[in-house]
Amino acid sequence: MRRHPLLWKLALLQISFCLLLTWIIWTWGLSAERSTYFLDQADRLYLARYAQQAEQIWRDQGATGIEQFRHRLADEENTWVAIIGPHLESLGTTRLTALESSHLTFMRKLDWPMSRRLQDELPFVSIEFPEAPEQGRLVMQLPERLLPGGLTPWTHVLSHGVMPTLLAALLGLLIYRHLVVPLNRLRDRADSLKADDLDSAGPGLPLMNRRDELGELAGAFEHMAERLRQSLNQQRLLLRTLSHELRTPLARLRIAHDSDLAPEQLRARLDLEINDMQRLLEDTLDLAWMDTERPQLPTEPVLMLSIWEALCEDACFESGWSPRRLLCLLGTDCCVQVHLDSVAQALENLLRNAIRFSPPQGKITLSGWREDEHWHLCLQDEGPGVAEIDLETIFVPYQRLDTSSEGFGLGLAIARRAVQLQGGNLWASNGTPGLIMHMTLPAAHEHQP
Amino acid sequence: MTPTLLLVEDDARLRNDLDLHFQKRGFAVTACQCGNQGLAAVQAKRFDLALLDIMLPGMDGLTLLETLRTEDDTPVMLMSALGAEQDRITGFTRGADDYLPKPFSLAELDARANALLRRMARTQAPRVARDDALVQFDDEVQDVIHAHQRAGLTASEYRLLMTLREHAGEALSKAFLYQQVLHRIYTRLDRGLDVHVCNLRRKLLAVGVNHLQIQAVRGQGYILIDTDRS
Repeated sequence: MRRHPLLWKLALLQISFCLLLTWIIWTWGLSAERSTYFLDQADRLYLARYAQQAEQIWRDQGATGIEQFRHRLADEENTWVAIIGPHLESLGTTRLTALESSHLTFMRKLDWPMSRRLQDELPFVSIEFPEAPEQGRLVMQLPERLLPGGLTPWTHVLSHGVMPTLLAALLGLLIYRHLVVPLNRLRDRADSLKADDLDSAGPGLPLMNRRDELGELAGAFEHMAERLRQSLNQQRLLLRTLSHELRTPLARLRIAHDSDLAPEQLRARLDLEINDMQRLLEDTLDLAWMDTERPQLPTEPVLMLSIWEALCEDACFESGWSPRRLLCLLGTDCCVQVHLDSVAQALENLLRNAIRFSPPQGKITLSGWREDEHWHLCLQDEGPGVAEIDLETIFVPYQRLDTSSEGFGLGLAIARRAVQLQGGNLWASNGTPGLIMHMTLPAAHEHQP
Repeated sequence: MTPTLLLVEDDARLRNDLDLHFQKRGFAVTACQCGNQGLAAVQAKRFDLALLDIMLPGMDGLTLLETLRTEDDTPVMLMSALGAEQDRITGFTRGADDYLPKPFSLAELDARANALLRRMARTQAPRVARDDALVQFDDEVQDVIHAHQRAGLTASEYRLLMTLREHAGEALSKAFLYQQVLHRIYTRLDRGLDVHVCNLRRKLLAVGVNHLQIQAVRGQGYILIDTDRS
């Protein structure tokens, strides 16, 4: 089952954006709209000044003055005005009609919001006398020109158009940064590959730490680049090695041919050089085959002891060693599930190396133990071993620690590849004394009959 | 009687060398340079052994092999510059009796040719008596009994022992043993036979058979020594 981390990330981003937008319009838009229903400070002062005048006149001239002031003010502002006492009675000479009294039930103070929402009527404003509020107040219907306009079309555009647009753009930018910037980085990396810059470590690398689809993509990309780098390096190495390794025996042949060697000597030389070239060719093709085809080798249960005995027979023939110097501590219980020929070839390679680097009368020991589903085998010699830093180098194709030694540096590379193809592993460590080659192989489920 | 050999190889130098070599060994060689010539030769007469190159101009070696197979059971050895890895990929050697990747040595070619000829001769030869004073051979279950103990041999191991015993004291080539015992073509890296030999030795020793010794002969193959008889 594939997880879709990127999907969830994007969904989360979109959802947060939607919620944010709703919330902003809900709170900020509403409060902005509401704030436009209040009177300006100047208008409030302007109206308060009328109340102050009314109070002054009430104190100086009484009811008649108030009556005159009321009419004058009503004319000036072209609205309805009343000055009332603490018991909502008119302070002028005329009493309030019933209709006028009804206005008094729905008064607003100066700092309340004003709107004509109710019955499309201008609101009635009550302004207490500033010095003696308990003695009376001025009530007037708010003049049309002072009514706050509410939201203008422009503020509407701002709050419901521009602001969401900006937020959406911001969201787009975020998504872009999240998706396209890494892709751009990958593209740059691909461009550098195109320009044969295979050696630079990838700037795409930090991307691999992401735990989503883009991280996987970067991982796959890096893997591909790595494989490309490997195969290109191998190709260069192969070309260099082949040209060197083939030219050398050819040169020796040419010289042998031109010099006056006895027929027997010439024949021996020919045999030697041909064998060398043939082995180089076969090993090279073998490694290339395992590398490019990654074949599924058919496996069978095999007794390690029998392989060892067969190999020792050949090794003793070749090297003139006494069989007593090749020890096997494995019993008949060590049965592995492997491709016989390739494991035998691998072990033969290890054995040949061990023999080559053994001191006179040195011994070679094969031991092993069961580790869960694997057998861990160790081949130890009493030779000089290998410097710690070279313990991995010896498995690199065409790498020879000692250029004067025979062979092409392919044996261990082939051995490792073959063992790995069967689910095992091959590595080296230094013992006291000598070199230990470790090989893990899958154990057979049942013993060979 | 002079054995007859059909040789189909397009490389002129190699063809001449092989022709000379087999003539020296006493074969009557019919050398052809392409598949069509080879086909004509096959239809004209019977051969004891055919040596075919796979990549030939015109009709290739595999097609020729197919045609040959429909006519008779002449043993066929394929030669090819396609290496062992191509063989492993395509398994194209089916139907051939042996397969020799180029380059090969004349010694190897001779050993394999002998193995093939010998196998053909064997099918007509009478079986050797199998009595042994110490060991019983049980053909039914394909096992060996010594001092009332069964060795527990597998079919291949039993076949190996019988083949070696029929030629006791005579070195048998690996190519021949692969043909005879494991019924497959021997390739350079094949270790199957060696492992069977080691298993067989161990099983024989386990039931106390000491007088039958299987020894490796360097560069040739295996030999069975019966210390009681010699």
